[in-house]
Amino acid sequence: MIPFLAVVKKELASVIRDRTIVISILIQLFIASFSSALLLGMLSLYDSDTILQFSGAGIRIGVVSSDNMLGSLMKERGLTTIQYPTLTEANAAYYRGEVLAIVDTPQDANGLTEIKLYLPESDTASSLIRMVIQEPLKQYENYLREEKGIDVRYTDLKGKPATSFEFVYSVLIPMLMFFPAFVAGSMSVDSITEEVENNTLQTLLSAPLTLNGMIGAKIVASIILAILQCIAWLTLLQLNGTAIQNVGWILLLALIVAGITSTSAALGAVLLKDRERSQFIYSLMLLAAAAISTLLNLSPITVMSRLAVGDAFTSGWNIVVFAVFLAGLYFLLSKTSRRLLV
Amino acid sequence: MNQILVIAWREVTRLRKRFGGGASPLAVLLLLAVLGLSAYYLRDTVSLGSGLYRVGVSGDVPPINDSRFAVMEVDAEEGKAFLDDHTIDVFINGSDVISRADDKSQFAVRALKQYMERAELIRVGNSYAEADAFPLRVGVNYLGAEQASAGSEAAKPEEIIIPSITPPPAPFAQVLITLIYIMPITFISIFFTSSFMDEKVNRRLTILLSAPITPFQIILGKMLPYTIFALSTTAIIAWVTNVSVPLALAIFAPTMFFIFAIYLMVPLFYRTFKDTTFIAMLVTTLTTAYLIFPAMFTNVNDLSYISPLTLAVKMYRGEPFGWREYLFPSLPMAAIFGFAMFAGTRMLNEEFLMGYKPLTRKVNDAIYLMLAHSKPYISVPLWSLLVVPVIYLTQIILLAFATNLPVRLILGFTLLGSAMLEEIVKTVGIVVLAERGVVKSFREILGLSFLSGLGFLIGEKLLLVLSISMVSEARVAGALFGAGLLLFVPLISHFIFTAIITLLRIKLKFPYIIALGIGTIIHFFYNVYILRGGF
Repeated sequence: MIPFLAVVKKELASVIRDRTIVISILIQLFIASFSSALLLGMLSLYDSDTILQFSGAGIRIGVVSSDNMLGSLMKERGLTTIQYPTLTEANAAYYRGEVLAIVDTPQDANGLTEIKLYLPESDTASSLIRMVIQEPLKQYENYLREEKGIDVRYTDLKGKPATSFEFVYSVLIPMLMFFPAFVAGSMSVDSITEEVENNTLQTLLSAPLTLNGMIGAKIVASIILAILQCIAWLTLLQLNGTAIQNVGWILLLALIVAGITSTSAALGAVLLKDRERSQFIYSLMLLAAAAISTLLNLSPITVMSRLAVGDAFTSGWNIVVFAVFLAGLYFLLSKTSRRLLV
Repeated sequence: MNQILVIAWREVTRLRKRFGGGASPLAVLLLLAVLGLSAYYLRDTVSLGSGLYRVGVSGDVPPINDSRFAVMEVDAEEGKAFLDDHTIDVFINGSDVISRADDKSQFAVRALKQYMERAELIRVGNSYAEADAFPLRVGVNYLGAEQASAGSEAAKPEEIIIPSITPPPAPFAQVLITLIYIMPITFISIFFTSSFMDEKVNRRLTILLSAPITPFQIILGKMLPYTIFALSTTAIIAWVTNVSVPLALAIFAPTMFFIFAIYLMVPLFYRTFKDTTFIAMLVTTLTTAYLIFPAMFTNVNDLSYISPLTLAVKMYRGEPFGWREYLFPSLPMAAIFGFAMFAGTRMLNEEFLMGYKPLTRKVNDAIYLMLAHSKPYISVPLWSLLVVPVIYLTQIILLAFATNLPVRLILGFTLLGSAMLEEIVKTVGIVVLAERGVVKSFREILGLSFLSGLGFLIGEKLLLVLSISMVSEARVAGALFGAGLLLFVPLISHFIFTAIITLLRIKLKFPYIIALGIGTIIHFFYNVYILRGGF
């Protein structure tokens, strides 16, 4: 046991001494903040609710219409509408800068209703207006359908914009919990192949330690590092006011996934014995595993977000299947590890 | 040229040996097949979140096939009870949607609204005549900037849309396609870095360098097979996705060289295998961020042109772009590639590669190697001038980073970060030279500080002129690089900040971090003063 711990300690010490762990934390900090920056940017530029909240009344639209249905739908949405008797006058108002866009009178044509929309040529302005005007147009379309006697259901749903909520629980939390696991796998590949490629493996094995013990110690070191990062992230998220349920199960799942990635990475390293191929296969395996687990509807990502959100049907039992998988992988590794010496 | 081809062939042989024979090619093929298959299945179902909401349904409700919802059949009484005890988030009873007042239930309602809108459209579209199901046509016209042209000739042809089935323009899908181009390039970088690592582990570098080949030829030769591979995958992707192959190659070639340039730095700086992994991960995330972040704002903000992916997004939309838009992202990338090649040739020597030192020490050595090729009075200002594109890209990433902060802090953080970056690049050369005894006297330090400030100022203003002439909305660039072309005051201030830091470090023996901190803070307050309209 003592040589085992010594290898674990050596691995952890080297990561801390070389400052590599700092880089890893930097990456995660960057990914987390970058993806939320992206989300924030997308929301403020592409989400019509957010746009309207900040500049709704500032978006002035000229309406040329006697039938004022569309105009009042736009007003309800929070846009400012200004009435003009003719298109020519509205046009003049557009060039005086009074309105940003013009909606012409609805016309009947072969049973269809036609509206002309006049937008500024600039891509920036026109895509913004098209985004905020989309919802009133759809409502107007539904109104026209009802006039024709077509009943469209579920049109009065409101709710609250859910993008941030979905992002935090289904992207951010799983990402922060599993990224350390991916890194743990890469670390196992590195520390095993480094011993082989630098010819230090035989020396290490002259210590009172079996080959399986040596590989196990390297895996354990990677997992410890991953779990410490997960704990730090969970603490930060909770300090930030994000409510996270089932913290214990979440950590256990993160631990098992880190175990799976490092064990399968070690398996690759044992079979291939060099860093280049092992890392390549490992990254391919990660992609494939993510895809396959989603296909099989058995994704740890789903379990993770359901645990975090406090789903009534998700509990520790959903983790068991991953634990069993880990045990199987480890058994396979312990049976094939001798190939490292061949 | 011949030597380059020899090295390239050597690289191909190395890869063939490594991946030839045994089970590995088979494994790769198998995995690629799995990936292809799953990508094929997943192409429609990619959405944010899976199984996040529990929905109870009862009665005639359209099937909910959205990965965000987990649906369960309940009867009416059960449904209300489940809703109350938070087992489900929303209960749909026929055409009634029943929710609770708390956030999670309301979020579920909004997500449901998005889904049901689409589901209802399909139902209505299938069960009624088209004119009844989609009774509205909107003709979108664009008004030119000049009143004279209004009415008589439209700026763009009229575009007829049906509101409920025309999504508003958001470039998500196209940005995802453009990412497919980047994936193979980052993937093969594992091999590119390994190529240099192999030479190091097997100690063959000395032999290689003693041959009549320059380091420049070695790097180019090793890069050649990967360049060919990357260019052909780009061409294939373009061909498969039905866009112009030459255009795609023109757009992605600078990006490819930029990524190679960054990955060239990884094997030069690593000490252990873990270093390689972590440094490679860091640069991958940073470059991906730099490429994607601006592209998400295609057509919303002209600054999105700093990423070449924006051009690719436009290509996929069939929108034209001009030479200026092309050069704006491509030139800085090409400049960085050139800089990295130069740095690589200076650093490719046994002593530098084999040294096991702290990372900061290695960076220090690298800068010395780059500066030592000519007299300090030439190399120091040249260094300051040439790193400007790097600083520019870093500042963009910094800005993306800063948008997370509370609004009041964004500008301050960006200004402080930019000031620090600028001060680092201006002073680091002089400090490194002083540590090695090349620069000693008071006069030399002041002279070099002036030249370093001058070099940086020239680079910065060149870039500013470039961006103002290319992109109309260069206000952010202006804020970052000091708007206004007034030259005297910035030159003096650059000189003063640089001189303060170098003198504190070299003459008063302050630790570099503290000297840098002092200089940065002064620079920051100067920037704030300028922004408030001080001069």
